[in-house]
Amino acid sequence: MNMSEKCKQHVDSCRFCWMCHHICPIGNATGHERSTARARALGISLVNRGAIELDEIMDNIYECCTCGACVHDCTTGWDPVMFTKEVRLQAALEGKLPDYINKLVDNCIEYGNAYGKTELCDDLTAAIKAHADKTDLLLYLGVDARYMVCKQAVKAIKVLEKAGVSFTVLQNEPASGAQLDFLIGAANETKEQMAANAKILDGYKTVIVYDPNDAKAIRRTYKEYGVETSANVITYTAYLAKLIDDDKLKAQNGGKTVVFQDPYQLSRDLEETEEARKVISAFAELHEMLLNRGETVWAGNILMAEYLPDVIAEVSARRLFNVTSIGESAIVTASVSEYAALKNVKQDKVEVLSIEDLILG
Amino acid sequence: MQYQMNEFLFAMILTELEDAVGKENCSTRAIDKVTHSVDYYWLSRMWADRGCRMPEADFVVCPKDATEVSKVVKIANYYKIPVTTWGAGGGTQGGAIPVAGGIILDTKRMNKIYEVNTEGMYIECGTGAIYKHIEWAANEVGKATMHYPSSLTCSTVGGFLAHRGIGVCSTKYGKIDDMVLQMEVVLPNGDIIYTSPAPKHAAGPDLNQIFIGSEGTLGIITKAQIRIFDQPEERRFRGFLFQDMTGAFKASRELLQKFKPSVMRLYDEAETASLIKKIVGVERKGAFMNIAYEGAREMVEVEEKILLDTFKKYGAEDLGSEYGEKWWKEKITFFYPGHMMDIPQMFGTMDTIAPYDKIEKIYWAMKKAIETNFPQAKFIAHFSHWYEWGAMVYDRFIIEGKDVPEDPVEALRLHQAVWTCGVRAALANGGVVNDHHGVGIKLGRLMKEQYGPAMQVFEALKKSLDPNGIMNPFKLGL
Repeated sequence: MNMSEKCKQHVDSCRFCWMCHHICPIGNATGHERSTARARALGISLVNRGAIELDEIMDNIYECCTCGACVHDCTTGWDPVMFTKEVRLQAALEGKLPDYINKLVDNCIEYGNAYGKTELCDDLTAAIKAHADKTDLLLYLGVDARYMVCKQAVKAIKVLEKAGVSFTVLQNEPASGAQLDFLIGAANETKEQMAANAKILDGYKTVIVYDPNDAKAIRRTYKEYGVETSANVITYTAYLAKLIDDDKLKAQNGGKTVVFQDPYQLSRDLEETEEARKVISAFAELHEMLLNRGETVWAGNILMAEYLPDVIAEVSARRLFNVTSIGESAIVTASVSEYAALKNVKQDKVEVLSIEDLILG
Repeated sequence: MQYQMNEFLFAMILTELEDAVGKENCSTRAIDKVTHSVDYYWLSRMWADRGCRMPEADFVVCPKDATEVSKVVKIANYYKIPVTTWGAGGGTQGGAIPVAGGIILDTKRMNKIYEVNTEGMYIECGTGAIYKHIEWAANEVGKATMHYPSSLTCSTVGGFLAHRGIGVCSTKYGKIDDMVLQMEVVLPNGDIIYTSPAPKHAAGPDLNQIFIGSEGTLGIITKAQIRIFDQPEERRFRGFLFQDMTGAFKASRELLQKFKPSVMRLYDEAETASLIKKIVGVERKGAFMNIAYEGAREMVEVEEKILLDTFKKYGAEDLGSEYGEKWWKEKITFFYPGHMMDIPQMFGTMDTIAPYDKIEKIYWAMKKAIETNFPQAKFIAHFSHWYEWGAMVYDRFIIEGKDVPEDPVEALRLHQAVWTCGVRAALANGGVVNDHHGVGIKLGRLMKEQYGPAMQVFEALKKSLDPNGIMNPFKLGL
């Protein structure tokens, strides 16, 4: 397998290191040894040494959610996400992607989303239509909200309306490239999708990015891949915090006590943890889970549920257990994808809310 | 043990195992097999580094509880297939490697935390729980497990029990065998048994202590009640520099007749000059010692005075609290790649334990044996678990990569020779085969040398409980 020397160094450092064994949300959910950074590194190192074939580890390579908990935990700075993504890229280049991944990639390229969706729900279509006029401010919803959790997308629009904000939402919103980046890393197709999106964003002074996964891609990954946008890109939660500061969004504590599910993209990748807390604290009493902010535990997503539904359900269930184990009964999310994953768990002990739910009541 | 596999039988057994644990928790995939073939044992790592595949299991199963474990061992017993129990694979002795093939029984699906009992001061959990997870569960209610080994994040409750592990606060809070109340165990015949509801009793021998340290050779521990403690009101640190280790031993023995610190770690001059200098920043000649003492604030005040007075008598230089606090903060950093020894170096920890009248002699004997017979090896040590009657030595040999044979079999031979030499020196001077990493396949051959005819007790237990010899064969010298 063609692999950069940098990645080989990380692989060979991680293959015999167990220190982040406790931290992988997938590994903790499945109890499977292969779902650990060291197991993934060992498999790759054995491929590099000709002891096993790349085909034999590819499923395992796609069991990583790239949440970066292992990276965050590593004292030395080794990066399992980096080499996992590089193997995905190499497998794509060598035509060795599993069929179920190929399908998602093809959908991303053809439809702009991994799910192959083309139609928005009626409510969202109407809500977008009301904000079709061009302004300086764009609300970028992202594919998960638009195609998979459209009610939340509608609520995201309503919250801004409630604050009296004038903004634009695109009927034909281009993909951010975040999904392709997850699936095949720094491939040309990923970069092209990112560049096309950046070009659209350039038409706005400020872009509010609703989905933290897109926010991470646009604010961080774009730079890594040499893609630039002139727009001022702000996360949805940071924008809401600003609206509270400016007294445009009025605090109204509804009497709920909640905990907050930090999306890793905000807390670890963008180091943005307090903005969401400011917003939540304006509408509820906020308590903390033991593992919060940079230590957050990923609670699942929609994309991986396409090919690992049972595993993602278990990931989400474990995060809900973290809520009940401290005697709490409501969790607020800032990631539409985590919201959907948590909502998908059949349980009645924990109320799952989005920030928009909290604000709109 | 009879173990013959063919394609037909393989398919038959696979369907039975899938029926026992669910298809998604029974694997014959290459990634699962290679993942469970390399643990933290240097030889397995070296083997993989050389591009070779270690012995692999035929099946990897992940049962969710004792009932499923029981089904698996019944199948294994019927077909006379080896069962090797795997926690998280963080063991250094090769105890979890399926050297005879058969079934790997990975316990990590048994990771449920059943109860956090703040009245009885224990957490009941599946033994597949990573210890750090039960520490988190304890922390959520303001308690702590006080079991803080460097492998806290990479080993399961069952792994610590199976190998008699120990944490850095052992002097005050005890070893893993002090930290467990009741256990659930699946015997090799599939019976599920419970040890006594409380560990301190006169109802015959302590069943817990038969299974703790048995490394999966006598049964599989599936559930345990692990003790939790109140968080200390205060934890203080004090670093000291002794001119030599002899003074440190005398001072520590005297100190332990007065009170029990939580952390006590004495580093020999070689380790003070290498790891301690690198990680903690002490750049002084001598033997560095770090002491932590904790609990109720008033008690800590008194203990600090006793500590300072006692160590002063033996010429220890008080380095203040800074180095000790740095050490506590960095105590796990030592073990990350880039800080820790790693391939291509060859290395090993030959920890042993003895009363005070022997422990320093053992240190010098092991050092001499290693450095004389293997001049290419560097020998460093620290003493990290202390009792009123003695202490353990955590002595390591390190051979730089340039002196390690590239040929894996030659490297294996050298590794075996160094270990045999070092452990025999410990045994000859009153030590034991191992203090807290266990025996595994690495040291099994030396068990008879330590125990002599006493080994028949273990062998009788093995023969009685596991007549087909399926449970973790070739480990523990059984």
